[in-house]
Amino acid sequence: MVQISLPQNSKIQKGKYYKDKTGSKNLRKVNIYRWDPSTGENPRIDTYEVDMDNCPSKVLDLLNKIKNEIDPSIAYRRSCAHGVCGSCAMNMDGKNGLACTKAHSEIKGDINIYPLPHLKVLKDLIGDLSTLYKQYESVEPWLKNSSNKSDKENIQSKEDRAKLDGLYECIMCACCSTSCPSYWWNGDKYLGPAVLLQAYRWIIDSRDEDRKERLKKVADELKLYRCHTIMNCTNACPKGLNPAKAIASIKKMLATS
Amino acid sequence: MIFMENKNPISPHIQIYSWHISSLVSIGHRITGVLNIIILTLISVWLASLLLGEVNYKIIYNFLNSFIGKFFVIASIWSFIFHSLSELRHLFWDMGYGFELKTANFTGALTIVLSIVFTILFYFLGRIII
Repeated sequence: MVQISLPQNSKIQKGKYYKDKTGSKNLRKVNIYRWDPSTGENPRIDTYEVDMDNCPSKVLDLLNKIKNEIDPSIAYRRSCAHGVCGSCAMNMDGKNGLACTKAHSEIKGDINIYPLPHLKVLKDLIGDLSTLYKQYESVEPWLKNSSNKSDKENIQSKEDRAKLDGLYECIMCACCSTSCPSYWWNGDKYLGPAVLLQAYRWIIDSRDEDRKERLKKVADELKLYRCHTIMNCTNACPKGLNPAKAIASIKKMLATS
Repeated sequence: MIFMENKNPISPHIQIYSWHISSLVSIGHRITGVLNIIILTLISVWLASLLLGEVNYKIIYNFLNSFIGKFFVIASIWSFIFHSLSELRHLFWDMGYGFELKTANFTGALTIVLSIVFTILFYFLGRIII
């Protein structure tokens, strides 16, 4: 169901203000969404004044600086810091992306940081992605090839391999799915751009023998056709992939087969 | 996890997400779609009422020549044109074209600009003919 406003327990309150203690002249205000499961209070926005003269270039560096020097209680996921693992996906300046690849100099004015949209918040910037992982499992993201039992490698032509470009690079950071209004309103039934792109990755693989079954499984009013080509997914993808196009390719295959 | 389900907040979504051209045109497509149904119904009622005599014609004639009436006419023209142009964009998408980010942003902006240009042209064309 379309629910525009947030439920009562999700309404955001004004939080604490952390004044700068370094005496730096190059300050920026960083507003961060905070929610502590142990207090029973509503989420709040804490504001931090950060000394930008001693801060590396990315938003993740900024968060690390705040955690190390100002407020160690802030929670967020991070790992590789090079845009490969997809852990630090969050909403910065109203747009989803990876904190480790997004430069804070690209953001004008105060820096607003929220968790990925429309997720159950576990703590601060950490959202619950278990529904998305279950949906990922439902498309059976592995090669199904029962007839090829030989010990030799499973050969694929250059052209067939090229069909996987723009698909295999997906790191499942969930930036696209959580940017999609359709996924916000129907996230329990609609698979969402990330999972559909993965579904297409296996549908189009020339080595896979389960194409028909895969297509049949995904051809569903809610699972697939809730995509209305809003294109927020492609706008959000930090790896420059095109989930909207992948979804359209599935629709086209279904319409022409 | 079960006891957490009720108290965990939902992270903000439409309240904080920035608008792109593509999402604006998409929601515009839906709104104008609903408007078009209402407008078509009104036009049908108007046509049907003509069967009941000249009085009805006069009432509607006066309404359409009033300030609100003119606004209604121009808004209707815009709604139809915007929806048609956006639909054209959707047809190309359905054939698999125009998904590159640059292309999609360009055609989205084009839809908005052309809908306004065509509305003006259409309105004046109508005035010349009538």
